[in-house]
Amino acid sequence: MEKKNYTGPIERLDATRWRIPKSYKQGMNVDGLIYADDKLIQAITQDRSPEQVANVATLPGIVKYSLAMPDIHWGYGFCIGGVAATDPSKGGVISPGGVGYDINCGVRLLRTNITLNDAKPRMRRLVDTLFNTVPCGVGRGGKVKFDKKELRRLMTEGSPYVVNKGHGWDSDVDVTEAKGKIHTARPDLVSERALERGASQCGTLGSGNHFMEVQVVEKIDDARAAQAMGLEEGYVTVMIHSGSRGLGYQVCDDALKALKDTPRKYGIDLPDRQLVCAPIESKEGKHYLGAMAAAANFAWCNRQIMTQLARQAFADVFEQPAERLGMTLVYDVAHNIAKMEDYDVDGKSASLCIHRKGATRAFPPGHAELPDRYKGIGQPVLVPGDMGRSSYVLVGQPGAMEHTFGSCCHGAGRRMSRGAAIRASKGRSIHQELLDRGVIAKARGRTGLEEEQPDAYKDVLQVVDVLHNAGISRRVAKLRPLGVIKG
Amino acid sequence: MTILITLMDPSFEHFDHTADMGLRIRAATLPALIEPAGRALYAAIGELVPGEPADPATFNLTGTDAAGILREFLAELLHLVESEGRIATAIDVTQFDEHALIASAQTANLNPDKTDFRREVKAITYHELNIRPIPGGVEATVIVDI
Repeated sequence: MEKKNYTGPIERLDATRWRIPKSYKQGMNVDGLIYADDKLIQAITQDRSPEQVANVATLPGIVKYSLAMPDIHWGYGFCIGGVAATDPSKGGVISPGGVGYDINCGVRLLRTNITLNDAKPRMRRLVDTLFNTVPCGVGRGGKVKFDKKELRRLMTEGSPYVVNKGHGWDSDVDVTEAKGKIHTARPDLVSERALERGASQCGTLGSGNHFMEVQVVEKIDDARAAQAMGLEEGYVTVMIHSGSRGLGYQVCDDALKALKDTPRKYGIDLPDRQLVCAPIESKEGKHYLGAMAAAANFAWCNRQIMTQLARQAFADVFEQPAERLGMTLVYDVAHNIAKMEDYDVDGKSASLCIHRKGATRAFPPGHAELPDRYKGIGQPVLVPGDMGRSSYVLVGQPGAMEHTFGSCCHGAGRRMSRGAAIRASKGRSIHQELLDRGVIAKARGRTGLEEEQPDAYKDVLQVVDVLHNAGISRRVAKLRPLGVIKG
Repeated sequence: MTILITLMDPSFEHFDHTADMGLRIRAATLPALIEPAGRALYAAIGELVPGEPADPATFNLTGTDAAGILREFLAELLHLVESEGRIATAIDVTQFDEHALIASAQTANLNPDKTDFRREVKAITYHELNIRPIPGGVEATVIVDI
């Protein structure tokens, strides 16, 4: 089961796209299509993620292609960085593995009026305060407690529920994907066990690759878009990466268990049992989509509560209210989710189920779902890189609607396994190396910094440039890390 | 084969998976897989140190294949750790085959002062899950989501 190279066919289509022909594997309904440049495709074929792209192409009702973004890497079932659109009118399926365990894992970005010069002398205190204010790490419960009745309400109403309880500003909701609430949520379909796992975790960061990072806007590439988002060179931003915590993991686990015999029931032949699925219009499919939406709403509440905790920490350190510090939310995007969205397919409008597993929605200017503030520039796409280099803010472009079902990359993508990263850290202090780069890092877990060290990731600029050059998204701003807290 | 964590116990090892982690467990028989499988999971999470004894746990799991049942068992152990802060300290297996696992475990609450959580295991996946015969016994492969 160890890492092996992909040895199947892969054909260059143009400077940014590579095709896995549907003739490669029995059962493929469409071609696989991977976005990458020459360098990235070499790295991508070092593991078996292209095989997973081919496996996803076997799902019933898949439309056009099984897609992968340039941050693709080997996952379980679906690759990370995968996008699949399925058509319910053609027997299309929903696959929980196409969303992942961390339902609505996502990223949000806050801007501030704080300059780098003002922040520098207070950075250590700021990182310490964030670390003590935002619960992070395995086994850490949240500061805000919800009983089961409140949890069910929170999963129905999404982030407006916690904002109304004082955990945020009204303006936050408008700049959250789907306004922080999927209307089809069915908390009644979320198991008791999922509620138990999530009960104490709303408003907690978690561990692994989740983080809260203080950054500075280092470079603006698109002044108009940056202005619309309130981003300016030399000013501080805050990025939050987390998801639905134990509640979401359990919703996915419950679904995989419940659906294990469903493919046989509907005559679906799968190459990997982690791809289990059900027709979108079936009872089983609707059940999962309702529970998934509830978990997605939980995740928006989770990031919302942490947003307010970050504002408190900044207010304490800078001795000014967060409002005066200008800590407005730029945007919040989900990158592990399945949603019904409308697309033009061969000249006809179709409502499709878009699976994004490690991929971000990237709607272009003018899209009806965008808040007025971003209608003219396109949807902000938040792409975290790594702790030592940079992250990027992009905007969706028309090419995303034409070619990738409104989707873009979600990060740099791992290039090293966790084990390899730990081995590569032997005899080094990642903490000191980050300090040398001007980044103060604080992690609760012993191996967190080693496993998540910058070398474990691809160069995020390479990843975003592929999609910039393909007309899927456009670069707006480069953000450089100053301080980071992790679980 | 790459071993992520140096272990004195030859009955299990952790192997690399790009973003996640693999567990490989070996035993002479299927029932003998259960106990080292639990330890492999605990070692993936960190150094989980038992404190005060707690209520025993019972496992009555059914299925259609042994690998799927092993996954269920590990998911139960994960739930005990995450939601109840308990670990199994000794496991008595009455039956484990392709139809069922019947087992009981002594458990203890985690000692919060001595326990060292290293990483969060989100779930026990079905990806490449299998149990296969090897010379002298059986070998299970399980990938956990980190």
